[in-house]
Amino acid sequence: MYLDMHSHSVSSDDSRATVEQYVKWIQVLRKRGHTVDGIVLTEHRKFDFDKDYSELASQYNVVVLKGSELDTRYGHFLVYGVTQALTQDIDFGDVRMDSRALMQAARQHDAIALPAHPGRFGIGLTEYVAQGETFDDVSIVERFNGGSRPGENERAAELCESHSLLGIGGSDAHLTSHIATCMTNFKATIKKESDVVEALLTKEFQPVWLDDTLNGASA
Amino acid sequence: MAMELEYDRSLYGIEHKAGPFEISNETIDRANSSTGEAGAAFLSDEGAIAAGYKGRIAPPTLCCILVRQVALPDVKVKFGKTSMHAGQRVEPKAPVYAGDQLTASSHLKDVYAKTGRSGTMVFVVWETTFSNQNGEVVAEVQESFARRE
Repeated sequence: MYLDMHSHSVSSDDSRATVEQYVKWIQVLRKRGHTVDGIVLTEHRKFDFDKDYSELASQYNVVVLKGSELDTRYGHFLVYGVTQALTQDIDFGDVRMDSRALMQAARQHDAIALPAHPGRFGIGLTEYVAQGETFDDVSIVERFNGGSRPGENERAAELCESHSLLGIGGSDAHLTSHIATCMTNFKATIKKESDVVEALLTKEFQPVWLDDTLNGASA
Repeated sequence: MAMELEYDRSLYGIEHKAGPFEISNETIDRANSSTGEAGAAFLSDEGAIAAGYKGRIAPPTLCCILVRQVALPDVKVKFGKTSMHAGQRVEPKAPVYAGDQLTASSHLKDVYAKTGRSGTMVFVVWETTFSNQNGEVVAEVQESFARRE
């Protein structure tokens, strides 16, 4: 199934898209022949325990899950399977947290944290790898990011090749029409947040572009 | 090491009042000309009444202009060397009519850091509620200011 693993709603400080707009736009994409099964809302520096999108998800037949995108001293990290206990261990608003500690805490709480847009100039993980930093716990990165500038996804791909990393895809949408520009094709069926973590641990997934799903092209 | 933001936290919970702001026909004319607004409801009583209003209304972004006249205290953020305006968002709640008198009430909503391609920035967010002479809320404006390294 195809999940957009990285998106932001108005709950993030820099997005203007509502979840309702996203799920409606996905209907448009489906009419155009694309396959989009769901999205993960990865709001900046927070996790929305109080938000419930199940009615919208059901009404529009879109899986709507929640995660986070956290700022760290080594770039942004996507976090899936967030729990109350994890948010008590890690200050999600601390933009200078050590991402290694985040990744370890995430696993201790049955969540998973992985680098977002690692090829991003100035802030992506590749910058820190080039400086000699090592990240032994990184095995998956966001290889396709819909908000990347020219060259940045290529840098992410090189990082994957050079370090034998797996890749996911996410649109990084902040605007309605950007949703699902990149996604991840999972072999598993995903219905809830913990399913995302389990599916990532199986390593049976790959990043895709929206056009890869046209008329079931790579389904 | 966690990033501890230094600023005046005592400002939280304090409402800063401003106004009244007289919404004259000239005020609406100037707002219209600044954006090229040509909708009939914004130009005359007749046009507004035909559109279902009780009289001429101001464009919904008028309060974005008025909010710049609200004097806000220095949050005293100890970060960076450069300050800049970082954006506004307005949520109109009710029409603003020619002849209205608006008052504003502002409070500090949030101070937070974020990182991006251009480094670390600290954002200061103020929220201002505009009400008319009847106490009806007509707009809520959120305004952000950024400091960067």
